[in-house]
Amino acid sequence: MLLIECPWCGERAETEFSYGGEAGIARPADPDALGDAEWADYLFNRSNPRGAHRELWNHAQGCRRWFGVERDTVTYRISGSFRLSGGVGKRED
Amino acid sequence: MSESLVRRHGLESLLAGMPGSPSADPGVSVTIRGDLGHINVRGNAEGTGFVKSVEQVLGQALPIRPNTVSAGQHQVFWLGPDEWLVATPSGVAAELAGRLKHASTGIHASVNDISGGQIALMLQGPKCRDLLARGCTLDLHPGVFAVGDCAQSGLAKANVVLALVDDKPTFMVVVRRSFSDYLYRWLAHAGSDDGVTFRDA
Repeated sequence: MLLIECPWCGERAETEFSYGGEAGIARPADPDALGDAEWADYLFNRSNPRGAHRELWNHAQGCRRWFGVERDTVTYRISGSFRLSGGVGKRED
Repeated sequence: MSESLVRRHGLESLLAGMPGSPSADPGVSVTIRGDLGHINVRGNAEGTGFVKSVEQVLGQALPIRPNTVSAGQHQVFWLGPDEWLVATPSGVAAELAGRLKHASTGIHASVNDISGGQIALMLQGPKCRDLLARGCTLDLHPGVFAVGDCAQSGLAKANVVLALVDDKPTFMVVVRRSFSDYLYRWLAHAGSDDGVTFRDA
């Protein structure tokens, strides 16, 4: 089981969380201006990297906040968590 | 329509079915606190005067540090960076919720009396931690989870708010009413070797 660090609650068991996919995908400012290919790209295409991956998690059984996690997709090693601000996927520095 | 409303916690039939003579020295004794009211309070902890106006009504601090409880006239649990649970005797909950709502008028906040939707169980006795550990992934060692700490987690897969009230130890478990029957049965089964007993508040 993964130990995931919630930015508010600290390290908790994976069973308390739900996964939200890749982080940092901004919704297009003007969806009407997109063609089908660009819209499909926004909806479906993900980077699917081998290695470091920034992804969204929700502390569903805890404080119910969304936050970001950087996880290695090969080793599952989690190198850190970060809060989101100014929209999902934006890094709060 | 002149029926009078009687407050019930819904576990009466399970309690009635308990064996006649509970052990004199139970490892865990569970007290069903159907007599508590629950108020969910949400608002922005930074700026806006929300914290100040809520604290004025409560007469005690709103815990800002994650996963802590402020104990006083009421018990106030941290649920999230903008969310708290106030537990207080059910007789005053509705009136307190009204005063909280009034105090947060004009502030981006919400106050909801959810007394009918939740129920609190108090677990006391030397085997409390052993019993909880069978269904919960939290580290409840006294050096990690201290008096005044609370956490939301899963207990036997049911969502609960868990708090350590004192170091007897007494744990408070707040669970959705719809899960209370299940959790009662789970506690009775998982705690059967510890001589778990149940009683009404």
